[in-house]
Amino acid sequence: MQENKNALKVAVVAVLTAVVVVFTMMVRIPTAKGYLNLCDVAICFIAFTFGPWSAFIAAGLGTALADLISGYAQWAPISFIVHGVEGLLVALIVRQKGDETISAIKKIAAGIVCVTTVSMGYFILSAIFISGFSVAAAEIPGNIAQSGVGVVLGLAVATAVKRAYPPVRTLAW
Amino acid sequence: MEKSRSGSMNFPDVSVVSTDCLKVNDLSFTYRSWGAKKNEPILSHLFCTLEEKSKTLLLAPFNTGKSTFARIISGVCPKYLPGSMEGDIQVCGKDLAYTEPWELLLTCGYVSQNPQEQFVATCVEDEVAFPLESLGLPQKEIAHRVDEALMQWGLEALRTSSNQELSGGERKRVLLAVQQAINPTLWVLDESFDDLDIHWRSQLADLIRKEDNTVLVLASRYLTQFDDLFDRYALLEEGRLHFGEKQEILSSFSRLCDDDLPNPLINQSISLKKEHMLSCASLTTERSRVSTLETNIFTLSVPSFSLKSGELRTLVGPNGSGKSTFSRLLCGLDTPKSGVFSLDERVVGTKELNRNVGYLFQNPDLQIFLPTVREELSWSLKRRKDLKNAQIQEMVNSCAALFSLDLDETPTTMSYPQRKALQAAVYYLLDRPFYILDELDNALTYSTALKIIALLRRNGAGILLITHDRTFGSLVSDQGYAITDGVLGGV
Amino acid sequence: MTTNTFVAGDAFLYHFDPRAKLLSLVLFCSWFFLPISLVGLYGVVFSIILLGSFNTGVHHTWRTFRSILPMLLFMVLFIPFNVRSGESLVTFGTFTFITREGALQAARLGGRFIGITYVCTLLFATTPMTEVMLSLRWYRLPYKASLVVTLAFTYIPFIADSFSQISESHKLREAGEETQKKNIFKRLSELLPTLTSALVVALRSIPNLAMSLEQRGFGRTEKRSMYHTLNAYTHPFTHFMLSIMIPVVLWVLCRT
Repeated sequence: MQENKNALKVAVVAVLTAVVVVFTMMVRIPTAKGYLNLCDVAICFIAFTFGPWSAFIAAGLGTALADLISGYAQWAPISFIVHGVEGLLVALIVRQKGDETISAIKKIAAGIVCVTTVSMGYFILSAIFISGFSVAAAEIPGNIAQSGVGVVLGLAVATAVKRAYPPVRTLAW
Repeated sequence: MEKSRSGSMNFPDVSVVSTDCLKVNDLSFTYRSWGAKKNEPILSHLFCTLEEKSKTLLLAPFNTGKSTFARIISGVCPKYLPGSMEGDIQVCGKDLAYTEPWELLLTCGYVSQNPQEQFVATCVEDEVAFPLESLGLPQKEIAHRVDEALMQWGLEALRTSSNQELSGGERKRVLLAVQQAINPTLWVLDESFDDLDIHWRSQLADLIRKEDNTVLVLASRYLTQFDDLFDRYALLEEGRLHFGEKQEILSSFSRLCDDDLPNPLINQSISLKKEHMLSCASLTTERSRVSTLETNIFTLSVPSFSLKSGELRTLVGPNGSGKSTFSRLLCGLDTPKSGVFSLDERVVGTKELNRNVGYLFQNPDLQIFLPTVREELSWSLKRRKDLKNAQIQEMVNSCAALFSLDLDETPTTMSYPQRKALQAAVYYLLDRPFYILDELDNALTYSTALKIIALLRRNGAGILLITHDRTFGSLVSDQGYAITDGVLGGV
Repeated sequence: MTTNTFVAGDAFLYHFDPRAKLLSLVLFCSWFFLPISLVGLYGVVFSIILLGSFNTGVHHTWRTFRSILPMLLFMVLFIPFNVRSGESLVTFGTFTFITREGALQAARLGGRFIGITYVCTLLFATTPMTEVMLSLRWYRLPYKASLVVTLAFTYIPFIADSFSQISESHKLREAGEETQKKNIFKRLSELLPTLTSALVVALRSIPNLAMSLEQRGFGRTEKRSMYHTLNAYTHPFTHFMLSIMIPVVLWVLCRT
């Protein structure tokens, strides 16, 4: 009785997807060479706070929808795979039972996995399907910076949100 | 309005023993405590019986458990309201302990106080169609009911508009249209009259009068439309329901809202350190409303405006008239098309306006981000280089005492009036010379709102209150401004 | 921030069955990767652009081109430079700047890029999102998945609005503090309060949404019916045939 949590799961994934879309499209900070968009911050936040499936779907679907809406539809499938896997792997690495704080090793591992997935994933898939190896290679430094910032800030935000809003624990699946 | 209830519904046949639509027995509910402090029960040993086809008005001041009660009887507790619940509830013969919320779709319809919480679709017609799709009705039936509901509530022209683009009153009407399309047996209307204008309030009152459904209206202010509408009156006090005669309930309610307390703003003594004056003349600005309907650009012109330290002024006008547009200009979030603001006879730009004018948004959650009240209050002070830790602590302690805040509570789990008080406390510590209060009386009792204004005014700040409630406006000040047809003028 | 990809219009593509359009999307995108002649490739690309302007207007077509221009320029500059083999076309002294192979590869990748962009943009510009979702459900996408996408679209404007209000609120709260020269790290750490508040506001809406879904009948045992249908499209078979035949014919014509 009252154990059917389908509506909650749908609600969690839908709202988190919307969060990723907004972070990808709206939240940008100016840097030396253009803008740094904060989608990886959102993705890492979700991966640190929620479970692997929510992270996978929200990250993949969110970035894909953002690409679609911005007019870069051909990146949509690539973003879905790359960021989806990013969310999934980070969430799997830091997953644990209860409220223990995540060990430093896990955080570093998650960071490395995140940065590698994003930069290598985009490199390989864009190279094959969109622009060729030379152009894709030029994007690698930017992707490393973005995902690096994503992990660090994502972790900070996750800690802050868990302290500021304790009920978030009941939402994670 | 003709009833369009389809008779071919596959509804589980429930043999109703009594003719009671709602039967609540000894209900007690306590919200789960997230911090160190244990919560008090918000509802304790509550009994309530609503007969079929009865119309009941339940009055309760804000934040005393009214919405909690409404949610509980619509079947979503304790699944979505983490806490401990005791007692048993039967809605049209169904025991809520064994019923899922979706099974109550045709039995109990809950219309929330905050429409944003209930939206599940991208546009208005999809919102109305969603529950009908859940019922598995044939497409023609759905289209018929949607058309009827939209027509009844004047939403035909907004059929394909996004929910986000609608004004407060329009959003409430969408929720009412959804309710009408479903046509459940029991209606639970939480503050549904509130944002509607007079025409729609009478429409809703007529509907309640004519229909056979059992209606429970929850309100925190008595409106004139409520006259001759209800069979029974009830008051929610200290977690219990008291039924009684209209006059008796009304006077107890008034007492509960502290309406008889003296207005703290009258003859308030303020300590003025330095007098400032904020003014502007011949200001104009434009704003294009993000809506599929409004094609013209909205212009606002302000021939003259001034606000001095220690003054209380109100800014009234209907929704969408440009009050927020002006406030945003006043605190420097936007730049006017032509004209400038002057502070103490000196022209100032947006950065200086940011520094001198505090804007309290209607939603207090917009700036809460720290785990305890103490940290929220000390955050801005710590960033100043001229204060020592001991000083900061003292300021924070005295501020918390003034606003009746518990320093160790988690802000996001506090009640709404407490979060509003926290928002005001944060700004009090920022010590700005001017404050703009956006719809402060929304979801607060008059006396709580007046207290907050009095506290902010203590150090001599000039206050501009934006409101669409003229009663509240007159309690605050008899001098003010109003926007009519895009022109801001004195009243 | 707008989430609308649809451009209003009444031309031929707007009446084409969206299910067939989705199939065309997949087929055309694959077509660009087949071994086809460069001339054929560019012929098809220009036809698609023309078709696009006819349906959605020149302004929209130009806007699309402008959005991919930076990437195109990037490709044009980088690719030829990196392909070293083949006969040289442009030389500075003994240094080969651009080779024939390089130019050809750049042209091919560039053409493919433009083509795929226009095919995708055209689909979403001529099909409202509800019909895209209905078509995907016709292709057996589970209802829950389409509900997640619809709900995400419902919540994006709300979260975007909250986000702007939150950053303004924090900006006002922090006004008056000395502004030092901000490097990237300072800027990021200053964003932390805004991001935290924004996420808390978003997370708060989750239980309300779940409650609302269940109160509106999500989870009932009856089979859900559909308010919107694709019945207005009366020639699905013909459109499907066209979607399959055109790419096949084009491949036969253009293959090397």
